[in-house]
Amino acid sequence: MAGARSMSPWPSRKRSDLEMLVNARSDTLRNFLANLHEVLLGTKLFPLFPVVPLAIAARCFRFGQAWVFSLSLIGLIPLAERMSFLSEQIASYAGPTVGGLLNATCGNAPELIIALLALHKDKIGVLKWSLLGSTISNLLLVLGSSLFCGGLANLNKERQFDRKQADANLMLLLLASLCHILVLTYCYVVKNDIYMVDAISTLELSRTCSIAMLVAYIGCMFFQLMTHRQHFESQEEDDDIVSDTPVIGFASSFAWLVGMTMFVTILSNYVISTIEAASESWGMPISFISVILLPIVGNATEHAGAVIFAFKNKIDITLGISLGSSAQISLFLVPLTTVVAWIKDIHMDLNFKLLETGTLVLAILITTFTLQDGSWHYLKGLVLLLCYVVIAAVFFFYQTPLDHVYVAPVEVNGYR
Amino acid sequence: MSYIFVSCTADNVAAMASTGYEAARRLEAGNPKGGGGSRTAHGHGHGRTAHNMSSSSLRKKSDLSLLSKVRCGLLRTILTNLQEIFLGTKLFILFPAVPLAIAANYLHFGRAWLFALSLLGLTPLAERVSFLTEQIAYYTGPTVGGLLNATCGNATELIIALFALHRGKIEVVKCSLVGSILSNLLLVLGSSLFLGGIANLHKEQSFDRKQADVNTGLLLLGALCHILLLAFDHAVSSGEQAADVAPRLWLSRACSIVMLLAYVAYLFFQLKTHRQLYESEEEEDDDNDDAVAQDEAVIGFPSALAWLLGMTAVIAILSEYVVATIEAASDSWGISVSFISIILLPIVGNAAEHAGAIIFAFKNKLDITLGVSLGSATQISMFVVPLSVIVAWIMGIKMDLDLELLETGSLIMAILITAFTLQDGTSHYLKGLVPLLCYLAIGACFFVSKSPANQINDVNAGVLTT
Repeated sequence: MAGARSMSPWPSRKRSDLEMLVNARSDTLRNFLANLHEVLLGTKLFPLFPVVPLAIAARCFRFGQAWVFSLSLIGLIPLAERMSFLSEQIASYAGPTVGGLLNATCGNAPELIIALLALHKDKIGVLKWSLLGSTISNLLLVLGSSLFCGGLANLNKERQFDRKQADANLMLLLLASLCHILVLTYCYVVKNDIYMVDAISTLELSRTCSIAMLVAYIGCMFFQLMTHRQHFESQEEDDDIVSDTPVIGFASSFAWLVGMTMFVTILSNYVISTIEAASESWGMPISFISVILLPIVGNATEHAGAVIFAFKNKIDITLGISLGSSAQISLFLVPLTTVVAWIKDIHMDLNFKLLETGTLVLAILITTFTLQDGSWHYLKGLVLLLCYVVIAAVFFFYQTPLDHVYVAPVEVNGYR
Repeated sequence: MSYIFVSCTADNVAAMASTGYEAARRLEAGNPKGGGGSRTAHGHGHGRTAHNMSSSSLRKKSDLSLLSKVRCGLLRTILTNLQEIFLGTKLFILFPAVPLAIAANYLHFGRAWLFALSLLGLTPLAERVSFLTEQIAYYTGPTVGGLLNATCGNATELIIALFALHRGKIEVVKCSLVGSILSNLLLVLGSSLFLGGIANLHKEQSFDRKQADVNTGLLLLGALCHILLLAFDHAVSSGEQAADVAPRLWLSRACSIVMLLAYVAYLFFQLKTHRQLYESEEEEDDDNDDAVAQDEAVIGFPSALAWLLGMTAVIAILSEYVVATIEAASDSWGISVSFISIILLPIVGNAAEHAGAIIFAFKNKLDITLGVSLGSATQISMFVVPLSVIVAWIMGIKMDLDLELLETGSLIMAILITAFTLQDGTSHYLKGLVPLLCYLAIGACFFVSKSPANQINDVNAGVLTT
């Protein structure tokens, strides 16, 4: 019943030991404590939980901004993991189709929240960089490390995977790369006065492409959840699977989810506000922090899950996690932020500039060609990992002036 | 594909009752070459490429019972011809647009009207030309038939290109050819796979990927030539190479010759050595459907030839109008010339093939759909484009292979996306939806770009100031 992505966090969960709570006398108290136990202690990441109040305290007591930034980042990790656990619980009440839809829209909720907050604060550069970084990190880092570790661990075993699911996601990513290339080329052409147009038409083009991408994503959802579901069923018959029955009630999981989302919003707000200060005090460019650091942190649990599944030679699930996440970010989050910016009348387009678009397109092409023959081994993973290292190096040295983070006012023939 | 063949002269009214190949033998025009007897005798002998079969799906059975009453033999023959040619297609309702367009030119209607009517009139004419080519192919044998199809299959695009060249509208030539390739690769293929996937939702949809591989390889060769020109241009303008226009022209002409050589090799591959890859599945489907596939010609060789020449002349006239009035239409409709050349012209010119490809996808015959769309794209990319360059060379016009950055980028991404879509040999509706959306994005891109009108009429070259 659960799709590949919703299965990801469970390796880091542990069974809660509820014996201690048996002795509590009051029923509601016992229920509440059982809930708390399940939600807060049901993960191996629980040592990171104290960072959340620390981050809030750091902000209120005005510690160094770099401290606020790093504490908020670390605090986001367990919160993201718990959010996906809670949405999985809700999905088991709601049925497979709604569960799949829920996963498809909220599966990358922390990235979505960061993106919307950056949009709200008008930091369009950070927004674009973080979305780009999430896509590339899912494609190259998560997939590469999983294939590498899994390949080494399963050196002598059967190593094929089902192409259809990977193909569907990769086709969507190719559509996204086409749209980015079109917008970039168009802006270049505008800049060089080959066509006499104004900057507004770039926006119109970006918005049209965003709508096309959203239609493609909806089509893929329909494909995955309705008509061709049989290709996407994960291999559920195996041994050590976590129970399909939910552990906490629907009402409480919903309440916990809302609470967790609030905390994620608060911490993301701190992250976005303090990013420049952190960049200055650590001496790293903002582009590096947005493209490399933020997504690594935000994706940490999915990453761990994907690697663990690859160790167990369940590469279909790994591919579902990494490619599905990339497709979701690239074809749902990016156009969604464009549409939200359209509604709020903010000038955001799909023009990710030459370096970023180039790395995105090349990452998609490299992944496409790597996966096209339906088999995998550790060298494929190593190559993808090394591509990611190279891209990280590029962004590490990519110094931009500080005001590049903000969008310039719309100029005629404008192009930045 | 049904082999019901119903057409006969009044001498054989009795034979009308027998639906079979014997009736075909008594055609007025004499016996076709190559033995048109039973199905097993000639097999695939009449060069029925995918191209021909797709447009045959738009044909309908002619009912000649009315003519059996006409007494005079000659009149009967002419009327039979006329009926076969004009009414033998479902597109016949568009035929009145042809005289309307000619009238519009002489009565000085608005130029935009002339443009629209000529475009509409081109659609049935293009379909009839392919029908007539197929008829001639029956008489000349499979190889020559295949060659005829390979050269004249995209006759409309070729004629439009040559006329635009003649008038010095280099940009229209380039844009319309790029648009034809893009429309074949993304629009025709995408819509066919999408609709076919929805119609055959629970069936296994597969096709032979060797054909797709060959075509993709050739398309990539064409794209390489364009990229080389573009990169050379860039190197020149950024000062790495000191050069003027001449080397770029020579580079274009050399690349054109290379592309033509590749195309000739592809024809040799398709028609001689690896013919078995391209045989359409003619024996597999024995149930009757409303597509009339005739193994015999319906009209005689001289009349087919005469009609073909006549139709080509009318196409030439209408193309002349189209090329002449394109700026006026662009002005009065408020859309850019590049959008009209890249999107509108190819959609119209390709309409018959497009419909045929969709119909075959509905019937789950994807090999034919791929043959139509990929084959057309390859033909335009590797034959019509270099031919235009060579013709321009002969005419002294400086046309090169330099497409603009936007067109080249779109072309390369379209080829890559198509190659990826087709590489595993199966299909479903999502594989059609994505290319369709790509085409939408590319169309939007050209819709929002408006080029200055004076760049279209630049006679000296396709050299735009960069």
